[in-house]
Amino acid sequence: MKVTQEVRGSATLFVVEGQVDMHTSPELRTHLRDALGAEASPLVVDLSSVGFIDSSGLATLIEALQAVGKYGGKLRLCGLAPDVRKLFDLAQLSTIFDLRDSQDDAMAD
Amino acid sequence: MTTTDSARGEVSRDDSELPEVSCTLTSHPKYLPLVRAIVQEGALLAGFDHEGTHEILLAVTEAVANVIRHAYNSQTDQRIDFELSVDAPVFRLDIIDYATFVDPSLIASRPLDEIRPGGLGVHLIKTTMDSVEYQKNRHGGTTLTLVKTAPSLST
Repeated sequence: MKVTQEVRGSATLFVVEGQVDMHTSPELRTHLRDALGAEASPLVVDLSSVGFIDSSGLATLIEALQAVGKYGGKLRLCGLAPDVRKLFDLAQLSTIFDLRDSQDDAMAD
Repeated sequence: MTTTDSARGEVSRDDSELPEVSCTLTSHPKYLPLVRAIVQEGALLAGFDHEGTHEILLAVTEAVANVIRHAYNSQTDQRIDFELSVDAPVFRLDIIDYATFVDPSLIASRPLDEIRPGGLGVHLIKTTMDSVEYQKNRHGGTTLTLVKTAPSLST
């Protein structure tokens, strides 16, 4: 798994590539934690290049969602492939997260 | 042939019968992609499409993660055996650990309306597989048997 991070205006963008599971989700958590510590908002996590994510990946994103909410910030996820979207549906998280189709949509104010 | 000793609640396999595919890994999460690679090919052999295969990959990943995290308390040097059999359209995978057997009634998911990290693995396994069975094995650990049948194509 690879995570690239950049700041665009007020938004912090994380582009995640590869598979997110028990082995790789800690790395994603570390990236998000740094931005959360700085109370960045909005945080945008682009999952369009993620072919697989498991419940540890979901846990990482839930942690981020809860953390960003504590300072009134926003977390948006974008580009979910059908398999990834299905996981969110199975876990009944599709209505909990702000899911966007595209990075452009997620980055817009 | 797999037999179950009802009195002791243990499942064992006749040693003269080889599983179709078997492998042994250590309980390190870095091997999860390798497990998925094997399982993916097995699912395709059983006749699953992409969606069905992905469901199996999810279930197996969750199951193995549970073994690592809970059965082995996140130790990364313990043994996990995998026995795969494919008799299309049926996919069957036994995940065998050598930890201490846990009563399946104690293995539960969190309520889905409680939004918090963790606790989703068992729910995802049971939602995606047709059959999920936990049995005590002859090593004193748990054999988790996952079975899923590929849907038949209409003609």
